[in-house]
Amino acid sequence: MAVATAGAVNAPKKSRVKDRQASMYPIWLLYPAAAIYGILFLLPTITSLYYSLTRWTLFNSEFIGFDNFIQFFQEPFLYQALINTVIFAFVTSGLKVVLGLALAVLLTSPLIARDFLRSVVFFPVLVSTVGVGITFTILMHPTEGVINETLAMIGIDGPGWLVDRNLALYSVALVDVWRGVGLATVIYIAGIVSIPADYYEASRIDGATRWQQFRHITLPLVRPAMFTVIILSFIGGLRLFDLIWTMTKGGPGFSSDVMASVVYKQYQSGFYGLSTAGNVVLFVLIAVLAVPLNMFLNRKVVTR
Amino acid sequence: MSWVKKYGLSAAAIAISLVVFVVPFIFIIFMAVKDQQQSAQMDFSWPTSFHVVENFVQVIQARDFMLITAYINSTVITVTSVALLVVLSALVGFVLQRRVTWWTPWVDFFILAGLMMPPAVVPTITLMQQLGIFKTIHGLVLIEVAYNMSFSVILFRNFIATIPRELDEAAIIDGARPLSLFFRVILPMLKPVTVTVIVVQTVAIFNDFVNPLYYLPGRENATVQLTLYNFQSQFVTEYNLLFMNILLITIPPLVVFLFFNRQIVAGMSAGAIKG
Amino acid sequence: MSGLKMKDLRKSFGAVDVIKGVDLEIEHGEFVVFVGPSGCGKSTLLRMTAGLEDITSGELWIGDQLCNDVEPRDRGIAMVFQSYALYPHMTVAENFGFSLTLARAPKEERERKVMDAAKILQMEHLLDRKPSQLSGGQRQRVAIGRAIVRQPEVFLFDEPLSNLDAALRVDMRMELSKLHQQLGATMIYVTHDQIEAMTLADRIVVLNGGEVQQQGAPIDLYNSPANLFVAGFIGSPKMNFTKVKVRSADATSVVVGSDELVDVMVPLSGRKLNVGDELTLGIRPHVLTTDSIGALKGTVDLVERLGNETIVNFRLATGAQWLAVLSGDIVLKQGEAVNFAAESKDILLFGADGRNLATAS
Repeated sequence: MAVATAGAVNAPKKSRVKDRQASMYPIWLLYPAAAIYGILFLLPTITSLYYSLTRWTLFNSEFIGFDNFIQFFQEPFLYQALINTVIFAFVTSGLKVVLGLALAVLLTSPLIARDFLRSVVFFPVLVSTVGVGITFTILMHPTEGVINETLAMIGIDGPGWLVDRNLALYSVALVDVWRGVGLATVIYIAGIVSIPADYYEASRIDGATRWQQFRHITLPLVRPAMFTVIILSFIGGLRLFDLIWTMTKGGPGFSSDVMASVVYKQYQSGFYGLSTAGNVVLFVLIAVLAVPLNMFLNRKVVTR
Repeated sequence: MSWVKKYGLSAAAIAISLVVFVVPFIFIIFMAVKDQQQSAQMDFSWPTSFHVVENFVQVIQARDFMLITAYINSTVITVTSVALLVVLSALVGFVLQRRVTWWTPWVDFFILAGLMMPPAVVPTITLMQQLGIFKTIHGLVLIEVAYNMSFSVILFRNFIATIPRELDEAAIIDGARPLSLFFRVILPMLKPVTVTVIVVQTVAIFNDFVNPLYYLPGRENATVQLTLYNFQSQFVTEYNLLFMNILLITIPPLVVFLFFNRQIVAGMSAGAIKG
Repeated sequence: MSGLKMKDLRKSFGAVDVIKGVDLEIEHGEFVVFVGPSGCGKSTLLRMTAGLEDITSGELWIGDQLCNDVEPRDRGIAMVFQSYALYPHMTVAENFGFSLTLARAPKEERERKVMDAAKILQMEHLLDRKPSQLSGGQRQRVAIGRAIVRQPEVFLFDEPLSNLDAALRVDMRMELSKLHQQLGATMIYVTHDQIEAMTLADRIVVLNGGEVQQQGAPIDLYNSPANLFVAGFIGSPKMNFTKVKVRSADATSVVVGSDELVDVMVPLSGRKLNVGDELTLGIRPHVLTTDSIGALKGTVDLVERLGNETIVNFRLATGAQWLAVLSGDIVLKQGEAVNFAAESKDILLFGADGRNLATAS
């Protein structure tokens, strides 16, 4: 979870390989882990680059160049999934970053039952996603769901959360925020708690208001935690599958399809080449969006 | 007036958080104990009658005690994967933290890739078929180990960085060889982070839906998450049973949470922020 | 029995030479202290002896075994670390006996040796404690006990007292001295604290820049330092220095002086010096006295009156800061001009290459 710089930061500064190190920390200790990771993660990732260039079904595979990728950008329902993935990642990570910080500030101020509240906020993180998906599908039922019935009591005609083509993706995004904001909050809390109290005391003597304290002390010093939250939730958003699948299966129509659900659907239908191409597109999407973001944020942490 | 100004906002925030985060859980519990008719109304109401045992027995018995099978499968998968993850990741974290060579940046790169990149599903399935581990419990165990390795390695490595090297050196002078250094000196000191890894990975793997869906399809090897997913279509009119199922598979993480609350939070944040 | 021999030992990290050829012979049973400022290579030299750092070139003999490529556990050494490096999850007894556990020694032998070490250190009652339940001094003793159990030919100490408070340090220093007499083993001790070096050592090895500057009995180093570095490093407070020129020289003495220093005659034989040669003159603060016709003119900056002695910070006309430690309580005012004097036998002269003219060959 410590994105990116973990190695560089902890690495002892020794300029050369030393035999002494080699004998005490032999490389063969890494072999079992490397074998499992290499065979089951790296190898398929590399071969996927080839498979994505094939028309590959249950029966045979045939090299077709970039046709699969072209299809991704031409077929509206596939292209839609690409757009949805990016929207979903931005919406969920944006909300988690903001709401997580708000909750963390609230839950680090002196409150009654603070520990209980922290647990309450964190608990959804630990619950089965399928369970969450089913529960909210029922809560969000357009006519009989608790949410719309409650809205009706105060005279609001609730929307068709999961059945409205324009809304389904955002409804799932909201549920994802509900499920994941607890993790963001915990990370923020850890960041806020590690800020020395001296800063707040000094600023109070200087006459800072609570808002000024937040603006000029908490916000800058919680930045490393914030970057972790951004990266984690952004990548999580790009890769999300289980919640979409249990709540809408990409529907209505293809309106809430994301890359991960397209990959599964194509796999289910036996279009293995297209499915793998979807994987590669998602791979590239993360490489293009998340990796530079990670590098950018890490540089900011270092130079801070 | 000033009281409202001072506390009104946070009081409102607390109230909203409570409603948003607690109501869905109460809803699950209510639904799980209602009878079929009341649960079909899908509303947030006090159960008119309590059918705890009845619903429980029905869910357990459904489809030839499938939930029991699933529980056993999920437990086997979770325990084995986590045990492997702890030992292997601690070894990797140890060697990587202590030894810096020309290949260190490459390993860092692969760890990061494992953390960020989606696995290539279909090629993995093909590979597993060739290896004869597709649709097998041990195949899924290896998958869980491979996919969750990066995160565990980072947690271990960050923690090992806080153990002074002089301890290694003292052990070396005392005559420790690499394996005894690791198992007798280092590993016993990793207890706090090991607890964190165990808890976090147990919850993650027990709750995993995607990987069993791809790599362990079929009824005989179903995991609890898959069972719940399949029950969704079977119990389409029996919400009380569906929610009893949700409740039952939520209990293990709940127990873990209640026991290790402090470690989860501390460990998560330590691993996340230190990076 | 076993002494220890270093022949032209060298160590480099990449292009950086850390140890630049050290030759040293240590007798069996000797207590040798490596001393020097941080970064001088003293710890590296010790770690090379322990086998924790590779030897780039040269030979390391422990007893009659060439140890360059011998594993640490087979060198017959034991080491006490600055941070003690106690295994936190083991009891004191387990810490003591860990080397024997690893060597699969029989249980009775292990228990006997652990008990012996505990007796020597008087910590039989603490054997079941964990390190976290011990005080700093007790932890230090556990670290020493762990070394004793190994019955090594050579004990290695890496700044073992620097984590203790001042009072405890004095106690532990005496205990270490006693332990050395009791065990009669060879001990090599690294410190940056020259008082520790002076009090503990049979022989001090002064290191700087990866080279041995001088080695010898503590008092010899104090009385006749080989060069400016040793003169400045050994002795507290530090020796005062000033640049002087040779006014005249004959077979048994030399007369030096400078603008702020009235000419003084220093006995010196067997030296060929020319009038006008630049030298460095050194005087220890303790040998200075106030004297109205003293050769050294200074302006008082600061006076610290300690009762039994008075420490005077003063400034020469060149601006050089000097220190005099005068016995008794002497009243001086800031800004007061004072003349200081010293007996000519207490004055040291160093050549342009930094070497002590009285001892250099």
